[in-house]
Amino acid sequence: MQLNRDTAIAIVSLLICGALLVSTFQMPEPMFNQMPATLWPRMIIVPLALLSLVLLAKAQMAGSDESTPIRSFSDWFSYYKNPIICFALFFLFLVSMPVLGMLIGGLLYVFITLNVLGGWSPQMLLRHGLVAVFFVVGMWTIFTQLLGVFLPEGILLRVY
Amino acid sequence: MELFTNLGLASAELFSLTTMALMMLGTLVGLLAGAIPGFTIAMAVVLVLPFTFAMSPVQGLATMIAVYVGGLSGGLMSGILTGIPGTPSSVATTFDGYPMAKSGKPGLALGIGVWSSFFGGIIASIVLMLIAPQLALIGLEFQPVDFFALVIFALTVTASLAGNEMLKGLMGALFGLLIATIGSDVVFGLPRFTFGIDAVSKGFAFLPVLVGLFAFSRLLNDVRDPDSASKRLGGDQSTNVVQIDYIASAKVVLARWGNVLRSSLLGVFVGVLPAAGSTISNILAYDQAKKASKEPETFGKGAVDGIIAPESANNATAGGALIVMMALGLPGDIMTAIMLGALLIHDVIPSPSFISDEPTIAYSIFLAFFVANFMMLFLQSITLRGFVLVTKVKMYMLTAVILFYCALGIFALNNIGYDMWTLFIFGVLGFVMRALGFPIVPIVLGVVLGQIAETRLSQVFARGDGLDVFFTRPWALFFILLSAFSIMFPSYQKHMGKKRWTRFFLPVLLIVMSVPVFTMPGYVRPVIAGLMLLTGIVQLIMRLREPSLTADQTPTT
Repeated sequence: MQLNRDTAIAIVSLLICGALLVSTFQMPEPMFNQMPATLWPRMIIVPLALLSLVLLAKAQMAGSDESTPIRSFSDWFSYYKNPIICFALFFLFLVSMPVLGMLIGGLLYVFITLNVLGGWSPQMLLRHGLVAVFFVVGMWTIFTQLLGVFLPEGILLRVY
Repeated sequence: MELFTNLGLASAELFSLTTMALMMLGTLVGLLAGAIPGFTIAMAVVLVLPFTFAMSPVQGLATMIAVYVGGLSGGLMSGILTGIPGTPSSVATTFDGYPMAKSGKPGLALGIGVWSSFFGGIIASIVLMLIAPQLALIGLEFQPVDFFALVIFALTVTASLAGNEMLKGLMGALFGLLIATIGSDVVFGLPRFTFGIDAVSKGFAFLPVLVGLFAFSRLLNDVRDPDSASKRLGGDQSTNVVQIDYIASAKVVLARWGNVLRSSLLGVFVGVLPAAGSTISNILAYDQAKKASKEPETFGKGAVDGIIAPESANNATAGGALIVMMALGLPGDIMTAIMLGALLIHDVIPSPSFISDEPTIAYSIFLAFFVANFMMLFLQSITLRGFVLVTKVKMYMLTAVILFYCALGIFALNNIGYDMWTLFIFGVLGFVMRALGFPIVPIVLGVVLGQIAETRLSQVFARGDGLDVFFTRPWALFFILLSAFSIMFPSYQKHMGKKRWTRFFLPVLLIVMSVPVFTMPGYVRPVIAGLMLLTGIVQLIMRLREPSLTADQTPTT
């Protein structure tokens, strides 16, 4: 068996389909002759599994994918470094929301993301700081003061 | 007469100072978004959405339509001045707009683009006002099974537009449908695929899913490598500030009214098709204009018709997409999906009876689309200098700020942190799936249409209709057959003129589709079916008489 990108996708997709199909058998029986809760998901899972098999077959017939170079983990990480860091920062932004709130958390998130993507030189720090303050505080003010939305305030800064 | 009464009611609602000011602002935001290469109109509509929560339904939708119209027109500025299309809907504009600007006539090129956008939008809004209520009347004939078949058709068309990646497009659409099943079932509210996590039992609101899948994958892809992250949005070319030559360009455009009309109608038609959108219509219109031109050799070198066609078509496409959303309650693209979400937030549920039940809102949307085109014309002339400056912003700055805005806007949707986590999870998923070669649009439409499809299917069950209803109801059969043909369409396109079977694709399509049309009520549709059948048979006979293709023959159409 040739292991290329589409083969991996097809196998993962088949595993997901299998797990979900098994899960449908644990759902309650339908009542009053209505449509069972399992019918629609099964109508999706079965063709998805069939298409995954087609993808698997195509991937095997195509052989090794020469257009996609095989990368080591470090190569892969450096290739996707920016998106991975952005997602990690966004994750931290959400995790810290109950403590920092939307305003402080947002300021930190935007400021750090700007520096990670744009550079850490003193001039950049100043520019990124100004951008973060202007856009985050500006939008936070519009939402809280103008639109009356109660954004998470966190523990550090009580605004309401 | 009813049209004018409803327009009168809508005018009273729409033409308030606040709504007009909001629309102006929306058009400006749209123009700005359209002018920035890489920043899509859908993204602009997504960002504006949270602001509409505090507005009335008419104000909110009018603002979003203004953004939409502004965005479609904004793309032409960077396309003509820098050669980089601001949005995919302006790709064909660059083919002749940029050469004309480089040849020393940027003002004329911009003027032609602006006027063509304007006329395209106006023609589409007239068609929208005339066609949408009629289509809604046809929509009233639809039973649950017909709607279900229509959703299936929408998904197959979306997947087939993925071109070479059709298999992944279909898988993506099914995956989107699967996402929509998570939470609880539509009949009894029984938990489904929650795997013991209580929070998941309420499912995922589709806007966080949509924004996560779409915005994250798009933005983070743009900043993937440090070089592209540091690039300016409009590229590094220096752009001189120019003045639009309005009078000369208006004369030029009006002298080519045939091209304007043809391209606009083509744009509306493409807009009506699910998921087709202005990305396709501008290229199609350009191609048609070139074929119809007496001077096709001038195309690509600054031909006037080469600017008129794509710009008329892309603005008109918005009208087509709105027709389907308003008349049938089904979103055909990401923009109308977001607008559908905005309507639902205001407890307005689009359906075939929407136009007759909510005439004020419906006709306000028609009017807003009409008025937004005038606003676009006005604002484009006075803000050109500012737009050129905005394209100097670096990509990574836009990304960082917009990701924060997405989180903030999505939180404001229901005021719960769960939605932000949904945004994050689907952001990661969208990015990974895009990186693995899955087109994002079928996934998004699968999520949006999934619940509609399941609801309609449950209604088919509740009515006790058997499965044969898919083949006995004319509309259901019509859409099922169309779905089958749309799945074959990419293969037809790929082999057109090269393989013998492709000769018979269109005649067979006409003959087969005439069957359900013939069984529809009234006199008009059976007559249309007769014409379709006749045309199909004549074409079939002609194709059978044609000599066989040789290997080195090139496609003729």
